[in-house]
Amino acid sequence: MHYVFGVQITTNMSHEPQIPNLGKINPEEIIRQFNNNRLQIFVGLGIAAVALMGLTSFYTVQPDERAVLMRFGRYVTTAQPGLNFKFPFGIDSYIKITTRVEQENFGIGGAMASGAMGAGNPLGTASSNRDPSSESLMLTGDLKVAEVRWSVQYQVADPRQFVFSSSNPQKIIRDISVGTMRQVVGDKGVYEVLTVGRERIAGEAKALTQKVLDEKYNMGVQIVAVNLQSVSPPAPVAPSFNDVNAAIQDKDQAVNRAESEYNRVIPEARGKAEQELLSADGYAFEVINRARGDGDRLAKVIAQYEKAPEVTKSRLYLEMAETLMARMGSVSIIDPNLKGVLPIFNENKIKPETVSAVLSDGRQDGKDRASLAR
Amino acid sequence: MSSVFSKLLTVAAVAVFISSSAMFTVPEGFQAIVTQFGDPRGDAKQKAGLYFKIPFIQDVRYIEKRILNWDGEPHQVPTKDQKFIIVDTSARWRITDPLKFITTLVEEKTAQQRISASVISATRDTISANNLVEAVRTTNAILDLSPAGVDKSSAVVKSPDASAKVDEKVSLLNLAAQETSTDLERVSIGRVALSERIADRARDELAKFGIELIEVQLMRVAYEASVEQSMYNTMISEQQRIAERFRSMGKGEQAKIQGKTERDLKEIQSQAYRKVQEVKGRAEAEAIAIYAEAIGTNIKFYEFLRTTEAYKKGLRSDTNLILSADANFMKLLTEGPDGILKANN
Repeated sequence: MHYVFGVQITTNMSHEPQIPNLGKINPEEIIRQFNNNRLQIFVGLGIAAVALMGLTSFYTVQPDERAVLMRFGRYVTTAQPGLNFKFPFGIDSYIKITTRVEQENFGIGGAMASGAMGAGNPLGTASSNRDPSSESLMLTGDLKVAEVRWSVQYQVADPRQFVFSSSNPQKIIRDISVGTMRQVVGDKGVYEVLTVGRERIAGEAKALTQKVLDEKYNMGVQIVAVNLQSVSPPAPVAPSFNDVNAAIQDKDQAVNRAESEYNRVIPEARGKAEQELLSADGYAFEVINRARGDGDRLAKVIAQYEKAPEVTKSRLYLEMAETLMARMGSVSIIDPNLKGVLPIFNENKIKPETVSAVLSDGRQDGKDRASLAR
Repeated sequence: MSSVFSKLLTVAAVAVFISSSAMFTVPEGFQAIVTQFGDPRGDAKQKAGLYFKIPFIQDVRYIEKRILNWDGEPHQVPTKDQKFIIVDTSARWRITDPLKFITTLVEEKTAQQRISASVISATRDTISANNLVEAVRTTNAILDLSPAGVDKSSAVVKSPDASAKVDEKVSLLNLAAQETSTDLERVSIGRVALSERIADRARDELAKFGIELIEVQLMRVAYEASVEQSMYNTMISEQQRIAERFRSMGKGEQAKIQGKTERDLKEIQSQAYRKVQEVKGRAEAEAIAIYAEAIGTNIKFYEFLRTTEAYKKGLRSDTNLILSADANFMKLLTEGPDGILKANN
């Protein structure tokens, strides 16, 4: 790339371009030398001429190079890699260029300057264009600011156009790329730029840069890639953007906490519900089976009882009476005509808690028996 | 022979010398004007190649034909809507009429100064006649881009698949759009057209000097420091609102899930209770039916039997039983062997 500019014809127009010139030989000198030693000079001159012709008639082009060949300054052809022929003595001349992919970086290589865009140099200097932050800080479509750092990779596609169309192709590519990136970013909102717009921006910038270079400048350059190195909020605003990210995490955490609580409580509750249900089933079995058992027993007892009701009833009554009498703490038998029973019991120191049953008579019992007998 | 040879050589040398002064090449990317004692003669030689001139008397001036750069310096301009901004422009130009060029501007350095004057004043005039937004946006696409994918924003944030990240970003974008729903101005000219206007203004002036202005480009459009600071403050407060919103959303989500936890818990527990009661009730009902059926065959005997059991269970061993002497149980004792019979009859 650089030797393009090395070979490049000087832009100072008051001088002739440095193309090989045939008119700089002093004729008197030649004649004098010729007279001194005619033959040697002649032979030597011949050999020198042939050697010079040979040396200046061939040139090599490396695989990653192309050479633009000119005859009397006019373009003839683009030489491919290998050994190439040209006419000597300044008739033909060539300019070599590289076809390697070159990279230009924008807004990269300097510290992220906080608000340097307006702070330091209100009216700027020519060099302010090279200030990385002035290149990277750009207005977005909603009149906010985003910091975009990117690089452009390009390659010479047409050596003839590349060499002859502009005096400083690199500068043009830089300027166009800066303008294009700002145009693309300027059409998007700052949040779009900072979040989802990244890839779209790179794609649009690439297409647009290529279009401008082709249509307006015919530069013979192919944009290989536009890479967005970083897209970030401007430094003074960055902490608040970070806080938003932290807030998103806080939110996720809150949700996670709540969900883990849910997961802790609900499955357990389901299990317990299942347990209660099963236990209720068990209870149901118990109740029903007991009822069936009791029922069966009763049915059997009744069946036998009905075969001999009086006998059975008397027997059962007496058995009960016997059991009860045997168990009682005390049994008092009192004449039915006796009045004022209580004082006696007071003297007998009956504990107040103990239940006293006063059976007036067996009339109730008697009735039962009578009805059963019937 | 030697003198003939030497003469021949001398003639040849002189011929070469003269012809070299009579010939000149115009290289590719350049154009040339032949001058006679500084006075331009004939048309400019714009095509590369070999040309002739009168030796010694005429001279050749080479002039660039290639595209040249012009680099502006950032300067402060107020816009129509009274915003102070720093504008930096760049331009590309070339010399299309070399004759005009060398007679008016003479050399590239003066041309650059001339372009600076034209482009900067054109920029100043154009920018200050338009609102800031015209120098920033090219289209109104940003306005037409209504928060697309709002439905996505409500999508579950923590879905584990790869699209979750994008979804989150989309939702963040939409949220931001809601928070910053400041009215965006429409652009009627736009950045690209504005640059062209600047170029058009300067172009006519520069054509007089044989210069073609190819393009003027707005490089940097930036806020002046104080405006910039207030814009940053706006952005910060927006971000704070968004952060608050996320935190609040988080709390809301949390509360929602907590509510669901409670609801589900109560639902599960109450449903279980209901089913338990149902099951128990059904069982008890069945038991009652079974008892009723069994008892129904002889209710009197059941009463008798059950009463005897109740006595056995209910009357505890520390009970003091006071019996009337004429109770049935005592009849045998008080009335003799016939007592029971009497009572039974």
